[in-house]
Amino acid sequence: MEAKLSEASRRVTPSPIQELSKLSQRVGAINLAEGFPDFPAPAHLKAAAAAAIAADHNQYRHVQGICDILAETMRRDHGLDVDPLTDFAICCGQSEAFSAAIFAIIDQGDEVLIFDPAFETYQTCIELARGVPVYVPLDPPSWTLNEDKFLKSFTNRTKAVVLNSPHNPTGKVFGKEELLIIAQACKKMDCFVITDEVYEYITYDENKHISLASLPGMQDRTIITSSLSKTYSVTGWRIGWACAPANIASAIRNIHVKLTDSAPAPFQEAALVALTSTPDFYSSLKKDYTVRRDYILQTLTDFGLRISFKPQGSIFVFAEISRSWQLSDMDFVTNLITSAGVAAVPGRGFFHTGTDDPSYHHRYVRFAFCKSDDTLKAAAQRMQKLAGSEAWMRPDVLTRPHH
Amino acid sequence: MNLAGTLATPTPTPATAPRHEMPLNPFSSYFLRSSSLRRSLLASLRKVSPAAVSPMASASTVAAAENGAAKPAEKQPPPVQVAKRLEKFKTTIFTQMSMLAIKHGAINLGQGFPNFDGPEFVKEAAIQAINAGKNQYARGYGVPELNSAIAERFLKDSGLQVDPEKEVTVTSGCTEAIAATILGLINPGDEVILFAPFYDSYEATLSMAGANVKAITLRPPDFSVPFEELKAAVSKNTRAIMINTPHNPTGKMFTREELEFIAALCKENDVLLFSDEVYDKLVFEADHISMASIPGMYERTVTLNSLGKTFSLTGWKIGWAIAPPHLTWGVRQAHSFLTFATCTPMQAAAAAALRAPDSYYEELRRDYGAKKALLVNGLKDAGFIVYPSSGTYFVMVDHTPFGFDNDIEFCEYLIREVGVVAIPPSVFYLNPEDGKKLVRFTFCKDDDTLIAAVERMKTKLRKK
Repeated sequence: MEAKLSEASRRVTPSPIQELSKLSQRVGAINLAEGFPDFPAPAHLKAAAAAAIAADHNQYRHVQGICDILAETMRRDHGLDVDPLTDFAICCGQSEAFSAAIFAIIDQGDEVLIFDPAFETYQTCIELARGVPVYVPLDPPSWTLNEDKFLKSFTNRTKAVVLNSPHNPTGKVFGKEELLIIAQACKKMDCFVITDEVYEYITYDENKHISLASLPGMQDRTIITSSLSKTYSVTGWRIGWACAPANIASAIRNIHVKLTDSAPAPFQEAALVALTSTPDFYSSLKKDYTVRRDYILQTLTDFGLRISFKPQGSIFVFAEISRSWQLSDMDFVTNLITSAGVAAVPGRGFFHTGTDDPSYHHRYVRFAFCKSDDTLKAAAQRMQKLAGSEAWMRPDVLTRPHH
Repeated sequence: MNLAGTLATPTPTPATAPRHEMPLNPFSSYFLRSSSLRRSLLASLRKVSPAAVSPMASASTVAAAENGAAKPAEKQPPPVQVAKRLEKFKTTIFTQMSMLAIKHGAINLGQGFPNFDGPEFVKEAAIQAINAGKNQYARGYGVPELNSAIAERFLKDSGLQVDPEKEVTVTSGCTEAIAATILGLINPGDEVILFAPFYDSYEATLSMAGANVKAITLRPPDFSVPFEELKAAVSKNTRAIMINTPHNPTGKMFTREELEFIAALCKENDVLLFSDEVYDKLVFEADHISMASIPGMYERTVTLNSLGKTFSLTGWKIGWAIAPPHLTWGVRQAHSFLTFATCTPMQAAAAAALRAPDSYYEELRRDYGAKKALLVNGLKDAGFIVYPSSGTYFVMVDHTPFGFDNDIEFCEYLIREVGVVAIPPSVFYLNPEDGKKLVRFTFCKDDDTLIAAVERMKTKLRKK
């Protein structure tokens, strides 16, 4: 019966990262691997959701107010003029919004450019739609956009570019000049951009999130996707959206209706409250995350990891294993789990260009810092203890890598 | 500024509609004139039929009709290269009917969700889960507690023992379970057999997967499976058969004899079976039989279900797929890239719901049974030819006593002149001609709504 599996699903294999996740659970490791908070969701949002359930907002529904508020926010923050009646699809998370967008525009053989390193899900969505993912490497150590590599990646089959900014896993925020390069190329090659802006409110220092759609000539060809999850610490509510020109949004909505029909109704109601949070909420969000970022950077630096690129946004740091350590990312993470009880993600799963490129694909580890103060402190203590012990660095003490 | 209070009802409710009447459609601010609605509906029909006009032209016709009403002065954007698969995707008939309904203040017996709410104990469980902090990503294939509750319920209902970890996958509603099953297990070019009329996501999603769809039509008065026709259609080329029992829109329940006949064909030709059983608790005249429980079928069957219909919480989007491990794997792969994970607090509440005592289900059947009687008697009195429905909360009737050529024309008349919404089922057939004499009504509404609708039909419908 295994012959009955579709070709698309068969291409997808369980990753070494899933094995590490099991190991991590077995030893009860502190989870700095997965990008969801372990602190509570904001109280006023939980109250709004509970109220919606109690008030019988529990049947299939599309809450138009979400689109109205988003349109207003996009106008105010990015100068975008979008129509709340026609330009939105409310989906079960940004995951579904992205998936629906891909199914709406990608035909068999269409190529989609993705900047590497990249969040794993994009590729498989594209392949499920029978498209072809094409990776464009960002240049370490600062993950800069290499204009030459980027332009050379276009062919006459290129249909879309995926832009995730702020970026998972590196924490990069694409700057104005880089966005202009992307915009120019997409206009010239007449292709779409699908943006993943889930970390849009989590930026640091002077870095500002710029929505690519706000650049001249880009709104007509950009599909914006985002969600409540990271901004409002409700990753389990599954409320996200796509925003695009009316006829594209219509196509995305039609696909979405066939995929899930609608997003969870009571949380759509709660979204109205979330999306109208005061400016204080967003400045606190930034402030709190900045403190967490700086704390973990200190922890990792003390441990001996290199922070070759300080996160400009998102809730991740992509730390580099010093060259003096003859240690791969898998070995590092495995050992950190078993010896310190702290879990992170080996960077290799995010790189897709070339196979087993030894120069840097196996030298990065991603840590998530969307965790409570207690969690971050406990992780820091465990790592300090391990760093102090001689046993940490000796190759003969390392556990065998899991594949 | 807290908009939650002012935006509690997303769209204005007409004064004549019952208090619990809820606006149904996503785009309530669209008020299409009925002639443009008819144009777009007929364009939709043309696209569904085999003799379709150029797909891209049809797609843009529908888009233009939708958008034209809202922004008449807007310059047309350059033709956009949406995917070819979108031929099959159009604004659903439900949306179109609902828009017309609101414009005319009609009572909506069209779209299949209740205008009453779910049980308190389930809602309480969800509120508790939110307050207890269950607001972050759930395990992709389901919160362990829910997977177990699903397995326990399935054991009670079908006698089959399944492994909640390896054989149960939680999805955003049964719609997503269907999408994940099809995208995870169907290859481009695979032949899949459906029974028409069918729930509209089946054909659209199969089209997304690039399948070749064959439909066997179920015909009145009893919508029984035509054995010889089915046998002729199944071959070694058939990859899967999809059934929906109890069946939307006819209310038919597949009998043991029918299930065994289909099972024999599946086993003989090595065919998968996808069984959509969302209405399994809304059964009146017969017992629900899961295809998975037919000897030899579990290993090749995906059983699909959800919380929404049984517990009147259709907006929570909690569904699931039950299948042996080798099929579950494909479903999970697709699911993890469609939505990644399902709403966490609702999963906790769903687990509580599924552990409801038998009395809950008995009362559900009793209440719906009474509503069904109300509607069926009313429809008969009004002059429809009513076909027996033994399951779901739908009834199919023949509208030809009123002298209309097709179901869409009849339904438009019903909204405009009588003030009641029903669904024209021709869009649920590969060949719309097969459905043009029929209309689908739902009785998942409070008694006042049903009584009011029946009154309108009895007084205003005129036989020809």
